[in-house]
Amino acid sequence: MSSAAKNIVLIGNPNTGKSTLFNALTGLNQKIGNFPGVTVDKKTGSYNYKNNKVNVVDLPGTYSLNPNSVDEQVAKDYVEQSSKDDIVLVVADATNLKRNLLLYTQIIDQGKQVVLVLNMMDLLEKNKQEIDLNKLSQLLNCPVIPINARIEKGVDELKYAINNYAPKSNTFVDKKYSSNVVDETMLRFNKINQIVNECTTKTGENKSYIFTKKLDNILTHKVYGYLIFFALLFFIFQAIFSWASYPMDLIDSAFIFLCDYVSHLLPQGMLNDLIVNGILAGLGGIVIFVPQIAILFAFITILEDTGYMARVSFLMDRILRQFGLNGKSVIPLLSSTACAIPAIMGARTIANYKERLITIMVAPLISCSARIPVYTILIALVVSENEVYGIFNLQGLLVMGLYLLGFATALLSAWVMKLIIKSKEKSTFTLEMPIYRAPRWKNVGFEIISKVKIFLFDAGKVIIAISIILWVLSSYAPSNKFEQIEAKYTTQAEDQTNNDISAVIAAEKLEASYAGIIGKTIEPAIKPLGFDWKIGISLVTSFAAREVFVGTMATLYSVGDEDNTKSIREKMMAATNRETGEKLYTKATTFSLLLFYAFAMQCMATLAIVYRETNSIKWPIIQVVYMGALAYFSSLLVYTVFS
Amino acid sequence: MTLNQLTETQAGVIKQINDESLAIQLLAMGFILGEEIKVERIAPLGDPILITSGTNYISIRKSDAQQIEIKL
Repeated sequence: MSSAAKNIVLIGNPNTGKSTLFNALTGLNQKIGNFPGVTVDKKTGSYNYKNNKVNVVDLPGTYSLNPNSVDEQVAKDYVEQSSKDDIVLVVADATNLKRNLLLYTQIIDQGKQVVLVLNMMDLLEKNKQEIDLNKLSQLLNCPVIPINARIEKGVDELKYAINNYAPKSNTFVDKKYSSNVVDETMLRFNKINQIVNECTTKTGENKSYIFTKKLDNILTHKVYGYLIFFALLFFIFQAIFSWASYPMDLIDSAFIFLCDYVSHLLPQGMLNDLIVNGILAGLGGIVIFVPQIAILFAFITILEDTGYMARVSFLMDRILRQFGLNGKSVIPLLSSTACAIPAIMGARTIANYKERLITIMVAPLISCSARIPVYTILIALVVSENEVYGIFNLQGLLVMGLYLLGFATALLSAWVMKLIIKSKEKSTFTLEMPIYRAPRWKNVGFEIISKVKIFLFDAGKVIIAISIILWVLSSYAPSNKFEQIEAKYTTQAEDQTNNDISAVIAAEKLEASYAGIIGKTIEPAIKPLGFDWKIGISLVTSFAAREVFVGTMATLYSVGDEDNTKSIREKMMAATNRETGEKLYTKATTFSLLLFYAFAMQCMATLAIVYRETNSIKWPIIQVVYMGALAYFSSLLVYTVFS
Repeated sequence: MTLNQLTETQAGVIKQINDESLAIQLLAMGFILGEEIKVERIAPLGDPILITSGTNYISIRKSDAQQIEIKL
């Protein structure tokens, strides 16, 4: 037994249960990072066997060592550059031995130490097929371990085989005699064919394939296929928006309680204010989206795990291709209705760089859940709750209209980018249709945990930083402006209660603060859109998260409401234009503001993720500029038309 | 004759794949020269198509199917 830690590398075709085996080997003892320079998930973990530590790396699925995508390139490079002492576990689907052995033979010819792991042995039995494992091991001169990763059968035997591995030297085909890759691959298949024929006996049909094709007759049907897809979508949206509201309300109350508790616990002053109104408020704004993201990723993982996602992409490819997107863009675009961050992370499955980039660039145009509070309060200003159009509630219709507008604009922008972005890479849709299987709940759990972690930590860092900056900007003012405001009000304190005055003071302080100065500075630029400096401040604070708009408005319009009896909506309704004295939130201004929030890139966290996913500062900048221009000019147009 | 000319459920034998990178990719996905290939389904909008060879089951765009020479 060697004392040094062993390293093993997991490689295999997609859909062979490689990740399930990785989870079975390492348990929760794993972490997800990135391969250097590319945005491909690198999963590493470890386990202990008889007091020896074994490090495991899970590579992206690949069909061969002739890469067709970034994922496959990463897998190829990693295996080729791995140490000669590392053991490569080639995970193969036992029901499709011939194809899976191609990768195995290529790795053997790299001079690597290999263990062949045959997964899905249960399906093989179901299909009444047999593999003579001893013979296969003999013919390949390589340990062959049968497993069923789903129920973790054979995992102990695999660990034992790894621990007792004896190095071998093997060659499968002599590359000198093959002139090109196609000929070489055919040579490999000829040899593989002989081996497979010697080792396998088939008495039954492959039942899972027959079932899968029958199900595809319905799920990719020209009518039922789309109907089922849209019904499923409706269900997922229901889940994201209604089920998630319960845990979201809980989180909301928990943070209100926490803020209240901390603010009483710590002595009054700047530190207290920073922690409560800066950091805790910022954290609350992130954590509240966790239920939606968890539910969304649960559905996405289930749809992928069962094999249904490949069919949806198949149904949508033709339509999306017109706009420079890909069948696989469906999921990121739909995820954007919850939050653009998981959507952009989800675009990784698109192999073509240009199509992936366009998907990332247009995803934030689709209305996310953070826009809902903004839409709700603004629409309420111009349309009353019980106004109807035919049988439909007018408020509901407007919200739906904004969503549709978001989708349409995303597609249109994608189409424009398709014309502008140059790419030599060929666009294909060569995608395996996996057989339908029940979801592996453990994988679903792992996936939710890992995506929520990325969201909390990557997006979280940025949101906290921005929250602190905004807090500083709105809590400080040049020279002694704040003292002057406080002094002004202490003289009037006798005839009013403390609460009323502090609200007025807070609002006046915000106006005098650096944030207020910024708002007034940008006023000339946003005036043509019908916005005043108060809206200007909200546009700035919305960079932390769009829903901050509501909170900022609440603070700003406390001025002049000494009794504090009015709702934000009533306050905003009463707001007037400083110059004309007329109502500020006319139809023109409100529609203009709605469009601005629909289109503008007001989310730092999304920008941070775009930066991470594209590995370049160029694309987030382009995104801010093009979405900003879109927002500005459509708001300008609407304001001009309506006023 | 090329694969894109087949109708649903029609089958043939793969003779040659003209585009080299496509050939390498399809071989690795189990679509081997000299073996049977079948069009299982054509997408509702006419493209892409679902094809099988043995137990290998994939979707492919028609433009790529045009590169696959078959004999009936």
